[in-house]
Amino acid sequence: MRKGLYPKLAVSGMKKNRRLYVPYILACVGMVMMFYIVSFLCTSETVRAMKGGDMIQNILSMGRNVIAVFSVIFLFYTNAFLMRRRKTEFGLYNILGMGKWNLARILLWESLIIAAVALAGGLAAGILFSKVGELVMVNILQTQTDYSLHVDPGSVLFTVMVFVPIFFLLLLNALRQIHLANPIALLRSENVGEKPPRANWLLAVAGLVVLGAAYWLALSIQYPLEAFMWFFVAVVMVIVGTYLLFIAGSVAFCRLLQKNKRYYYRTNHFVSVSSMIYRMKRNGAGLASICILSTMVLVMLSSTTCLYVGKETSLRNRYPRDIYMDVTFTDMELSDGPQKDQIRAAFMEVVKENGVFAEHILDYQMADMAGFLQDGRIDLDSSMSAMEQFSMGNFSGIWQVFLVSLEDYNRLMGENVTLEPGEVLMYTTRHQYEGDTIAVGDGAPMKVKMAKGFIKDGTDSMQIIPSMYLFLADPEEVLAPLNGLADFSGNKLVNYHWYYGYDMSAEDQVQIDVLRQTWDRMEGLLSGNGFEEIHMVVDGIAWERADFYGLYGGLLFLGILLGIVFLFGAVLIIYYKQVSEGYEDQSRFGIMQKVGMTKKEIRKSINSQVLTVFFLPLVTAGIHMAFAFPLIDKMLVLFSLTDVWLLIGVTAGCFLVFALFYVLVYKATSRVYYDIVSGDAAV
Amino acid sequence: MRAIRREPGGLKRDMSILEVTNLKKTYTTRFGGTKVEALKNVTFRVEQGEYVAIMGESGSGKTTLLNILAALDKPTGGTVFLDGQNLANIRESAVAAFRRDNLGFVFQEFNLLDTFSLEDNIYLPLVLAGRAPGEMAERLKPIAEQLGLTGLLKKYPYEVSGGQKQRAAVARALITEPRLVLADEPTGALDSKATDELLGLFSQINAGGQTILMVTHSVKAASHAGRVLFIRDGQVFHQIYRGVFTEEQMYQKISETLTLLATGGDPA
Repeated sequence: MRKGLYPKLAVSGMKKNRRLYVPYILACVGMVMMFYIVSFLCTSETVRAMKGGDMIQNILSMGRNVIAVFSVIFLFYTNAFLMRRRKTEFGLYNILGMGKWNLARILLWESLIIAAVALAGGLAAGILFSKVGELVMVNILQTQTDYSLHVDPGSVLFTVMVFVPIFFLLLLNALRQIHLANPIALLRSENVGEKPPRANWLLAVAGLVVLGAAYWLALSIQYPLEAFMWFFVAVVMVIVGTYLLFIAGSVAFCRLLQKNKRYYYRTNHFVSVSSMIYRMKRNGAGLASICILSTMVLVMLSSTTCLYVGKETSLRNRYPRDIYMDVTFTDMELSDGPQKDQIRAAFMEVVKENGVFAEHILDYQMADMAGFLQDGRIDLDSSMSAMEQFSMGNFSGIWQVFLVSLEDYNRLMGENVTLEPGEVLMYTTRHQYEGDTIAVGDGAPMKVKMAKGFIKDGTDSMQIIPSMYLFLADPEEVLAPLNGLADFSGNKLVNYHWYYGYDMSAEDQVQIDVLRQTWDRMEGLLSGNGFEEIHMVVDGIAWERADFYGLYGGLLFLGILLGIVFLFGAVLIIYYKQVSEGYEDQSRFGIMQKVGMTKKEIRKSINSQVLTVFFLPLVTAGIHMAFAFPLIDKMLVLFSLTDVWLLIGVTAGCFLVFALFYVLVYKATSRVYYDIVSGDAAV
Repeated sequence: MRAIRREPGGLKRDMSILEVTNLKKTYTTRFGGTKVEALKNVTFRVEQGEYVAIMGESGSGKTTLLNILAALDKPTGGTVFLDGQNLANIRESAVAAFRRDNLGFVFQEFNLLDTFSLEDNIYLPLVLAGRAPGEMAERLKPIAEQLGLTGLLKKYPYEVSGGQKQRAAVARALITEPRLVLADEPTGALDSKATDELLGLFSQINAGGQTILMVTHSVKAASHAGRVLFIRDGQVFHQIYRGVFTEEQMYQKISETLTLLATGGDPA
């Protein structure tokens, strides 16, 4: 055969089907672009040099793998749409005398062209937008960079090495389909008589049960750590449930509607219900995918945005003062020793030397222990230590208990609470305490009075299990019998903390200087006599800020990137769904008109079906989000973020933006749909 | 026998069910703007209870004529009266309802919706007309029996043979008790056995009083009709009344006329 025929046939085939090929190629370009951007940022020296940059790069490299895996699944899915329509054309070529070998050559050319365009376009766009990505990151980390454009040959090579095999696999898959089919099957593959979908009640009920269980799980979980452990189980259940419900449940539901003759045989319902069955059978999986992707986008965006917006709050929760010290003693004796005065003095010297002013001084002490809460008693002495129970996943009864003197409480909170003998003031975080009395160890039960709150401390905000503060007139009384007790691996059951910290109105750089000097001073002090049993951590909020911003900013950045990728996927699935349905509905449109439906009636019926099919995933994603909300709320507590209203606002905002975007996509794609349907359908 | 007239009135009773007068249809081709006369001057009448076949070669204007009769297309000139009503006077919005209430269609390609069972396909026009489920079932029962569909109603189009599909399509055309059944090459996609069956059914239905207008170029199909109109170059060229002829004799007559048409002669 003439040279150049195959490339020509490949190009003309793609041109003729440009409605399908253009979005596919764009999707390929988009995937390559996103992949390049992420791998560029992962390895960029500029980013690594920023404070907090390595944190972002770690997070992004996870994202890079997600994008690669998603690309494979997604490109295979969309490629299947293409093949279904191309088969007719190949069948024709086959009948006109082309062997399968010739078809394979056309396919080869087609793949080569698509791969070349996708890689060239994707890399070009990637290089261009990688700068945007870098600038966004610079903004997140609040540092500076120049505006020059860099190309990273390593990332280019890596991208090519990931995507060339993907395109090769796609080609092999296409060849396999051509090889297996005979010409008649190829010609007919588009209009094989389709069996009416049977309702699979078992799967439908299973879907309902699984989804219901996932929702129940989401609502019934009370402890933040449980939320974290069960979140992934719930996610898997929701995915399974959604697929089952969309595929089997929807058909079963339509069948139920059909059984109700009074409902079914109505002008508005008759055509819609019966075509919906087919629509759902064909598109159930696609719709479920859209729904899952949308939910993922929403969960990711809302939680990462929330973390990013609330980053200063969580930073404050973690470090209640600009300079903040946490001293741990293992022995009660030490907590009242003279060392405390020496440490205080050392702090103040540094403050004075730097000419800053220390305010909001925080200075208090508490005892902390982990124990099991059982029938109103904190049990420290169980045969297995709390930590070991914990590591076995048995964590629902574990509490972190802090004992603080009532005097400290009144001083810090500016209150004047008094307690009768046998009374205790209590404050809990992450979980409510419901009993009337509480006992610690073998002590007598004390009557519980609830406190309004307590200042945040670093120890509590680092915890993932609920905390219980007990304010006692005389903590020693409760502590004395516990002092010196250890679990069998030798760890003391009770630790003593002394918190000391202050704020200063100074710029971050000054604060960091002060912190460095404090570190030097403390090192000198701790090497002296009498400080052997003291374990001290001094933190500065300014010092940690970059890491915090790096972490939360990195999560947000990744959330946005993956959000874009998933959204991309959802949009393309929607588009292909519309196009393929358009071709299928074309002939039906003509028949209905001949049997006496007005164009208006047909349009109305099709409109209502398309709308239902289109917005079902969005509505379901909204419901998923609503049920996921308590879980997300509890998980964010683990990131020391407790602002429910912030989460509600951000989630609602994300959903609205997403819905708006979704509607725009609907408008754009439904035009293509109507173009196809009314193409030659008007009899 | 089914009721013949819905509205009483002396005038209508004398009228033909279909009156086509000086019908013209001119198409302008999309490229070049040349005018093509699909129908030049067609005039004929169909009386109540008649079974008329229209024959002609491809491109003679048969399909254009049928589309105009079905109110799917508008003529360039001339008038069509269906049951005394001028099709040109029906408002655009009422055309679909008019078609649904007065005409029954049988197509070569059956045009059954594959998403419906045969039963629901047959119900479709009634559902569109807003009839109650009970009434629909009552109407279907005798028709299904007559057409031998009773055991097939729950099946889907893809599960049954071409002949069975066409019978379902006939049932769909009859269930609205239309004034006129329009059949467009109804045997075109059927094998000879199914063709015989269907033509037998048409004769039977016609004997029951149903007016049928069938467009075909099958001599066999036309030989069942009571009258055959021949169209050539957009005009009614000739017609044959069956009168006392048997089907075989009719077949013979039609063949002779077609030969004449093809050779360009003038029938005596």
